[in-house]
Amino acid sequence: MIESMLVFGLVNSAVLMLLALGFSLTFGLSGVANFSHGGIYLFAGYLAYFLLKMGLPYFIAVVLTIFITALLGAAIYKLIVIRVRGIVLNEVIATFAIGICMLEFFRWLGFVTYEYSLPYIARGRFTIFETTLDYQRSLIIVVALLLAVFLWFFTHRTKTGLALLGMAQDEYTALAVGIDSDWAATYSFAIGGAFAAIAAVMILPLGIININIGYEVLLIALAVTVLGGLESTKGLILACIILGYAQVITSTFFAPHWKEAVYLAAILIVLAVKPSGLLGKFKELEERV
Amino acid sequence: MKKKKALWGLLVALMLLSVWSISGCSPQEAPTQVASGEPIVVAIPTALGSIEGRDGVRAIEMAVEEINAAGGVNLAGEQRPFEVVTIDTREHEAGIPIHDALAALERIILTEEPHAILFGAFRSEVLLASMDVIAEHKIPYIVTTAMTPEMQTKIAENYDEYKYIFRMCLNAPYLVMYLNQMMGYLETEFGFNKAFIVAQDVLWAKGTGGGVEAWLNNNNWEVVGFDVYPTGAGDFSSSLTKARQGGAQVIVPIFDMPQSGVLVKQARDMEVPALLAGFISPAAPENAWDVFEGELDGLINFIFEIGPLPAEAVPMSIEFNKKFGEKFGESARASLAGHAPGPSYDSVYVLKEAIERAGSLDGDAIVAALEETDTYGVIGRIRFDENHQVVYGMDPAETALGGAFQWREPGVRVPVFPEMIAEDDIELPPYM
Repeated sequence: MIESMLVFGLVNSAVLMLLALGFSLTFGLSGVANFSHGGIYLFAGYLAYFLLKMGLPYFIAVVLTIFITALLGAAIYKLIVIRVRGIVLNEVIATFAIGICMLEFFRWLGFVTYEYSLPYIARGRFTIFETTLDYQRSLIIVVALLLAVFLWFFTHRTKTGLALLGMAQDEYTALAVGIDSDWAATYSFAIGGAFAAIAAVMILPLGIININIGYEVLLIALAVTVLGGLESTKGLILACIILGYAQVITSTFFAPHWKEAVYLAAILIVLAVKPSGLLGKFKELEERV
Repeated sequence: MKKKKALWGLLVALMLLSVWSISGCSPQEAPTQVASGEPIVVAIPTALGSIEGRDGVRAIEMAVEEINAAGGVNLAGEQRPFEVVTIDTREHEAGIPIHDALAALERIILTEEPHAILFGAFRSEVLLASMDVIAEHKIPYIVTTAMTPEMQTKIAENYDEYKYIFRMCLNAPYLVMYLNQMMGYLETEFGFNKAFIVAQDVLWAKGTGGGVEAWLNNNNWEVVGFDVYPTGAGDFSSSLTKARQGGAQVIVPIFDMPQSGVLVKQARDMEVPALLAGFISPAAPENAWDVFEGELDGLINFIFEIGPLPAEAVPMSIEFNKKFGEKFGESARASLAGHAPGPSYDSVYVLKEAIERAGSLDGDAIVAALEETDTYGVIGRIRFDENHQVVYGMDPAETALGGAFQWREPGVRVPVFPEMIAEDDIELPPYM
């Protein structure tokens, strides 16, 4: 039981991390909470499905999906969010509306049947600690870790990443040294979209693509980001591990019924005790004051 | 500037489109109207975005088209066509409150003034709440999805108020009856005596799970566990681990949510050596084998009402599949839901016959005529019991029929239960 809990707790954490990385990155770098993340995630899922259905080879379909979804992310910022940038409430309403429009548009198109699914990248299983784990879930763990490392490296070791981070820390100072605010935000929306697409092609093969998943993704991303801290990659990883294992433990020792409540409880507790998140720094000073 | 305006226009159009699809009332004219005279308005307030809702509405439209093409309903000597109006209650989605679905029901009653309501509530919770609205408006209401037996209890307790409500689909106790009989068969045939139940956290599924659990406990089975998952849950590893460690030979899944497809794949991924036998809605359609990449081998899945599963013992079910495929395409037929299409199609004919017997559109007269129903449809023989539930059993010549099939290589659904429709014995899959 314990071995299984350890293994599937890790899988669960990795799934959460993949789902939240794009949202967290956009939030951390542009300061805009992109509530259309769930819609973008589902867009990527359906896009990959139709590209594969058209007969494209898997690798090409995946690369195209990631690229097109990144463009969609950038377009959302350039066409809509840019007009309300800086007015937090309007940003929330605009991105939320886009997300709802996308999800309901899919429903309107009739994507409600059970026929939409993506294939596993690799089929097969192996045994670890007497627990059988399939290749797909193993890959999810690997990809989640790689993306987290990439995200940390990108924001701390590349000029572009540092520019984005600078913009997130203090927009006026960043502008003063020549960093274009809109360029930075467009870039972060595009990367956020690409991350959502990667999450979609990794996670959606576990089941079937369904519109309601888009709403759940948003809640997950929000919970993880609030718990970990807005700009902190390490905080994000820590939050995913805490939530991932908390869910599996709740499900195993109490009842699966309660595990969804873990997200909401996490948001409430963190907002009450440490609003900047477990490892968030941006608002820490304000909190002390 | 023009571009800017165009973009905003596009956004507004998209939003309006979305709002319209969320709460919109979308009347649909009945296709061919050979019959003359004022139409008989049939309202469908349900979760149109669900697969059961979509297929149920299609089945109703198909029946309406057939009836209208054949001259319509003979109402006291005058041929009147049916007209269908729909409204989306969205009740199948997580987080949609019951009062939203009720508001949609009230709205279509007040704006369209229907003579009867078909398909009805998708969720049992909404059905129970709708009963008072129906009682107030006194409109005959035939439900073909929601399964709670509480509906019958309420009718039994207050017949005069709730007599307008009828149910043609399977209810939870009948599903329990079928599941229990099949568990008995598995015990006799394979010596199984350990089961694990996993159900969705909705009224009908929990009720069904509870019924199966009680029967198993009373029949010397060991129930290794009974887990309930909220709608939308996508990881079943803890239950599957418990099932394996407890030595469960049968896992009984009871779900109508799309995410339950994960359970099937995860059980194979974790190599759980147990037979899955129950209801997983995404695994019911004929095209599910391809969707699940062949991971369904051995799964026993129920079709709540014969119709979507063509069975030789019920010739009308074969005819129904043929006509549905011709009208909506093979792809639509192959994705037919395992619950609702059959009784939804039959409900139109049952209503037509009741109106003709009553010779009136008066709610009370139609109710009295509906109670006398004794006819055959794609679900078998159709008769209502004293609490307005269609009687289900094992012989389609005597009662309506539900059944189970087993997925087999190379992706075929083999009817295996009950005996009247079984085309082969249940086989244990290779992983057991």
